Parts: sequence; C-alpha cells; structure tokens
Amino acid sequence: MSVISIRNLSVTFPGDAGPVQAVKDVSFDLEEGEILGIVGESGSGKSVTCRAMLGLLPRRATLGGRILHHGQDLTQPAAMQAARGRDIAMIFQNPASHLDPLMTIGDQVAEPLIFHFGMSRAEARAEALKLLDAVQIRDAAGRMSAYPHQLSGGMKQRVLIATALACRPKLLLADEPTTALDVTVQAEILALLKTLNRERNLTMALVSHDLGVIAEICHRVIVMRQGEIVESGRLRDLVHAPKHDYTRLLITSQPGRLPQMTDQRPDSAPLIELRDLSLHFPGKGDKVVRAVDGVSLSVRQGECLAIVGESGSGKSTVARAVIGLNAPTGGDILYEGRSVVGLKGEALTAFRRKVQMVFQSPFDSLNPRMSIQRTIAEPLWRHGLATKAEAMDRALELMDMVELPRSLAGRRPGMLSGGQCQRVGIARALALSPRVLIADEVTSALDVTIQAQILKLLTRLRKEQDLTVIYISHDLTVVRKFCDRVAVFRTGQLVESGTTAEVYADPKAAYTRDLIAAAPDLDQALAGVT
Amino acid sequence: MHYLTFIGRRLLHIVPVLIGISLVSFLLVMLVPGDPVRLVLGPRATDDAVAAMREAWGLDRSLLSQYLTYVGNVVQGNLGDSLKYRLPVWDLIAQYLPRTAFLIGYVLAMTVPVTVLLAVTAARREGDWPDQVIRLLSVLGMTIPVFWLAVIFARLFGIQLGWFPVSGYGEGFLGHLHHLFLPAVSTSLWLAPVLTRNLRGALVQQMDADYVAACRAKGLPERLIFRRHILPNSVLPTLNLLGVMIAFLIGGSVVVEIVYAVPGLGALMIGAVLGRDYFVIQGLTLVYALVTVLVTLVIDLLTAAIDPRTVG
Repeated sequence: MSVISIRNLSVTFPGDAGPVQAVKDVSFDLEEGEILGIVGESGSGKSVTCRAMLGLLPRRATLGGRILHHGQDLTQPAAMQAARGRDIAMIFQNPASHLDPLMTIGDQVAEPLIFHFGMSRAEARAEALKLLDAVQIRDAAGRMSAYPHQLSGGMKQRVLIATALACRPKLLLADEPTTALDVTVQAEILALLKTLNRERNLTMALVSHDLGVIAEICHRVIVMRQGEIVESGRLRDLVHAPKHDYTRLLITSQPGRLPQMTDQRPDSAPLIELRDLSLHFPGKGDKVVRAVDGVSLSVRQGECLAIVGESGSGKSTVARAVIGLNAPTGGDILYEGRSVVGLKGEALTAFRRKVQMVFQSPFDSLNPRMSIQRTIAEPLWRHGLATKAEAMDRALELMDMVELPRSLAGRRPGMLSGGQCQRVGIARALALSPRVLIADEVTSALDVTIQAQILKLLTRLRKEQDLTVIYISHDLTVVRKFCDRVAVFRTGQLVESGTTAEVYADPKAAYTRDLIAAAPDLDQALAGVT
Repeated sequence: MHYLTFIGRRLLHIVPVLIGISLVSFLLVMLVPGDPVRLVLGPRATDDAVAAMREAWGLDRSLLSQYLTYVGNVVQGNLGDSLKYRLPVWDLIAQYLPRTAFLIGYVLAMTVPVTVLLAVTAARREGDWPDQVIRLLSVLGMTIPVFWLAVIFARLFGIQLGWFPVSGYGEGFLGHLHHLFLPAVSTSLWLAPVLTRNLRGALVQQMDADYVAACRAKGLPERLIFRRHILPNSVLPTLNLLGVMIAFLIGGSVVVEIVYAVPGLGALMIGAVLGRDYFVIQGLTLVYALVTVLVTLVIDLLTAAIDPRTVG
C-alpha cells in the first residue's frame, strides 16, 4: 500500500529572468515500509520535492499536481496541517541550525507531543526521555535539560530524529541527514535509520547527493536532474545497467569508481618536515585546546600527501601552520631543511610564494566584485613579479591551464558555477608558480561529477608542474584514488601514516580501520545488499 | 550552578572598570585649569589663607595619597560639597536622581510595549502595507530632533490646549505621571523607532531560520512557533541595544529636562557646568559611570538568563 503518492508535482519559483521551474512533472509512490532514495546533484530539485511533501516551501513557490496521502491531497493547506508532524515527519541536513538554541533538548522533543496529543508537559517529557533512549542517546536522562550547543553534531541529529519520531509518524523524510556529519557518525546515523525502518516499519524517503549513502540503506532509488526524474528502480539494476547517460555519468563519477590517480615514484627527498609540531590554544577557563599535538611528518618532493581526519582532528590547523597563518606553540616546520617558523618580511613572502593554498568554499574564497581574470592576476603584480598588463596576460594562460574558457575572463564569481570557481581558485594559487599546493577540502562543496573533473585536473597539473600536493580531506574514498601517501589525524594527533596502498590494505590503528569501514562506498554497499 | 559562576565571573569583571572610573573622575578635578582653592576663596585671598586651605583639603599631599583619600571618601558616600549650594554633593544627587530615574522608567513603560507591538506587526506582515507604514513612521520618528519635538509639544499640548503642564515634576505618583507625560512622549517618539527597526530586523531574520522550518515540520501552528521560538531568539540584540539606550538616556535626558524644566540630573549637570561647580561635576560623572555599569550588568545577566550559550 502506498503511504504517499506524488502525481505530476511541479514547483515554480519566481526568478529575475522569469519563473524558474525547480520540479517538473514528477510522479512516484512510496510503499509502506520501504526506504526510497532520491539522488541528484545541486539544483536537481530533490530537496524541493522533499520539502513540498511537508509543505515547507517558501510562500513565493507555486505548487502544481497532487500529493496524495490516505486519500487526502496534501497540497491543500488544511490537509497538510493535519498530517504534518503526526503522520509525516522530517529530519534535516544541518542538525545544529534546526534546533532552537534557547530551548532544552527535552522540551524540544516533547513539544509535538504536547501539541498533537494534548499531553501534559510532564507526560510529554517522560515520553521524550523514552524517545531519546530509542535513538541511542547515552545518558538520555542527563541530556534532557541540555541545550543544543552542549551536544555534538551526531547527538543533535539523533535529537532531531527523536523529535520526528515523537508522534509515531508513518513516513519520515530525511533531507541529506548525514551530509554535515563526520563519516563515523554518518555510519551510526544510517545504521539507526535502518533499525527504525526495520523495527517500526517506518517508511522513509532519503534525499542525498551521495550514491554511496543511498546504497547503504535504500531499497529503491530515484535519480533526479534539473527538476525531472531521469531514472528509477532498484539501485542494483540501476548501477549494473543504467539506462540514462546522466545516471551513467553519476555512477562513473563515484569516487570509488574513479581511475587510480596516484603516482608511485621512488622515495624522494623530504620537502617539508614537521618536527614534533604542536599548536595549543587557550580554551574555556583554564583548559588548553591541543589542536595539534606533537606531530612529526614529512612531505616528500613531488608526492601527494593526504591528511585525513574528522572535524576537530587538527588537519586544517596543520595546513594553516605550514603556510604561517597560525604560529606553532612547539616544534618546528622545515622547508628544504630550513626552519620557516617565525619568518618575517621578505623571507616570509618568498616562502609563501612557494607554498600556495586552495580553499574549501569556492565562492567565499573569491572576491565577489573582482573579475576572475583580475583575481588570478592579482597575486602576480601584488608580489611585484610582473606588471599589471603582463599579469593579465599570464592570467589568461592560467585559465587555459585549468581548462576555463577565456570567454569567462570578464565574469565575476557570482556568474560562475561552483566547479568553475574552484578552477579559478586553483589558477590563482598556481599564478606564483608554487612548488607546494595545499588543497583544503577543495571538492567537498562540489557535486560528485564536478569533483571527478577537479581531481582529474589536479592530477594533470601535478605532473605538468611537478607540484607537491598536500590534500586535506575527510573523504577516504577520494584519498585512496588520488593520494600517494596518507596521514590519519585524530584529535590533534597523528594516528598513522604510510603509503595509501599499505594503509588501506592493512590499517595498523583501530581508528583508521573504523574510518575506512565507515566510509560509504557504492560497490561495497552493493556487495553487502542481499 | 553554571549561571551562578557566570554571575560571579561577570561581577569580577566590574572591578577593573570601577578602578578606571574612580581614576578618571578623580583626575577630572585635578586636571581642571586653575586652582580650586583660588576658586573657592576668590582672587583676593591671602597666600596664607590659600596655603591653610590647601593643607586642610590635603592638596599638598602626593597624588596617590589624595587618590586613596578620595576613594575612601567615595566608598563612604562622601562626594564632597557643592561650591554653589554649600550642600554635600551626595545629597544633591539623591534629590535629583529619582526624577530622572522616574522619567526614564516612564519612557521605557511607554516605549517597550509599543516597540514589541509595532515590530511584531511589521515582521509578520513583511513587505505588506502595515510593514511599509511602520517603517516610514520609524524613519520619521528618528529624523525629528527631540528638542524640536519637545518645543512643539510644549506649545501645542501645554500652552494652546492646556492638557499637560509644561514644567516641573509634580506632586505624588499621578502628579509625576501628568507632569512628565510630554517629556516622556518626546523621548519615546525617538527611542521607539530605533528599537522597532532593530527588533523587526531580528524577527525577519529569525523567521527564516532553519529551526523554524523544523518547528513547522513538527506540525506546530505559526502562532506558537512565533511566540515560543522566533520571539525569544529575536529579543537579544534589541535587549542589548536597549541597555545602551538606557545608559545614554541617563546622560541624554538633558535636552528634555531643560525644555520642560524638569529638575533632574540633566538640569543639575547643566547648572554645575555653567557654575564651575567641580565637585558636583565630579560626583555626577561618577554616578553616570556607575549607572551605566549597572545597566550593562543587568542586561548581561538578562541575556545570560535567556541564552544558555552566553553562560557556556
């Protein structure tokens, strides 16, 4: 029996250049007890479809078609209000921002019970406690009076799940529920959702950009692109025999299916060495935050070294220390055998020319009011390496190098896609002909198909420019394909390091094993599905 | 428990501020050009008389010892004597302060409910005509100078219509309310728009917050979401602005107090400045600073009571 039937759903937003149709004539059914995956890239309409099912679209959106639930059409406000939070509930991408920061966890979970079932506050809180237990929050009784900021990201998502389950809904919508979480936490949350589906016969729609995540728990999958359903069916069938070109592209872009891009070369001399490096910051009260604690590591000439770890592991802090943005509180950083800690003036500038960085957020790291040609040219003339005219010419060459059409030279970042912006960021970093490129989560804000392109570009540039790359990432599957050696970080300490092949084949540390096991991978998940 | 430690820490922060305040108010008189003794005794006093007075006042001692004496006196409530009234400064302030405090309380009682009402209306009807009208009136209210408004009100409601007295403080609570009505309205008409714009902005921002979408997903009705979630999250910036404004009003009530001849701190200050009544100026500086510290403290404690993140 269908829990919900979407018939010819369309959603239109008013735009500057006329109305924009975000969802076009989409129809599908959700059968009782199944987990349906909705996969697609940014702008595919997957989240809009999901939000439409709960009437969470902004007022300016116009809705067409029908959303049928037990004979009621949920596009009608009264029917939606009756079903919302009771029969259908939802969890969201960023658990931190979806909890009211001023209200205790217990009260937030109890709220729908008080409203929908007319429970007293005490009854509702007693029920909330059971729910927190059910979503496996340790010390649930103690957490009842905690505020959201006192919980970790995974805990917050569990609280949101508990809230969603409060009124025993038949359908749970999950919009990228694990995207903002660390891989090990992601694995736990997915396992929890799977358990809830099995034990409570809870029907789910899971929206994700990550086929690996979808493959972990979904029975059936819908592929969306530009507001339309491109293909649907059992994931296994879809992966083995994709009918649509886009589905094929999506599958070949999965990090696990990318070609091996590592570059096994004989051991070369170390270019950068970290010796017993520590960065401690003053924390709350008398506490000291050991962001990086006694790390010794060397980066060899010409290699691609991955620094992997979860949030708070200190991986970005290490990178910032290398380019001199954070001063170490202990240990030393050597570049070609000479210490670069405490460099000033000319010497620091000269060093920074050699080591350039590309940042995570492609839009935020570019000046929105500057044309991309100027953006790329700026470091050259700022460093006095070229006249402005020469720098502008060189910028065009750099655009060729990162495969950006020259016709985009006069555009501003706002008129480019995320992938194009990231190419601008790379071109700007290459402008000073650096020897080392530090790439800090450069693909994590990008769609998988774009990620595949950027990785290919970086691999080509590495060879052509003889670059040494420090690749900071939380994505173990990408690292496995792209990096020669890997260093695993956890809470400021180096857990393990070695060649990527060795570490993946035979991880020494338990934490590394957990990380590798938790990383969602399409093929492994498919192999596990019976 | 956390909240108590927060209060303790916050109180500790005040200590250096108080030391700074005492230093500034002490040096204020020291740095005044001319000799206060000469000022008191007049230009024709003999050198012996001046020397005797200097000794009597302790002005011949070191700056540090004078400062310590000053702090000792202040702690005991001794702010010196007014040169003009020949009265202890503390008695003068104790006489004038309640009137200004009453005026500010009156202003707040008028402003806060109106602000909340207008801001909520504007935010809930964002972009619609009520919002446009409220925004227009806000700009108008902020651009009209208080002194001009005060003079016009005094003429219209005070003299022509005779509804309200245009000077004095009145007798008894109702008398105060009646006498201070026009000064309070004149101030409110400027204060309410400032606060309304601030609160409306915060409300509009919070209405788009993710947790609001999450509340809708829970099936809560809009009214409940607004009251229980959006409003508490929006008041914090406005509360802090209100604190700054109250501190500002203590010193900034001068204009309306002069126009409406309210015998409050502002009037006392103007008289003291014009009459070079140094010890009154010194005492008032101290009081203004202390009240500001106190208001900031109260606002911080309120903020911490609403927002658990501040307590940490």
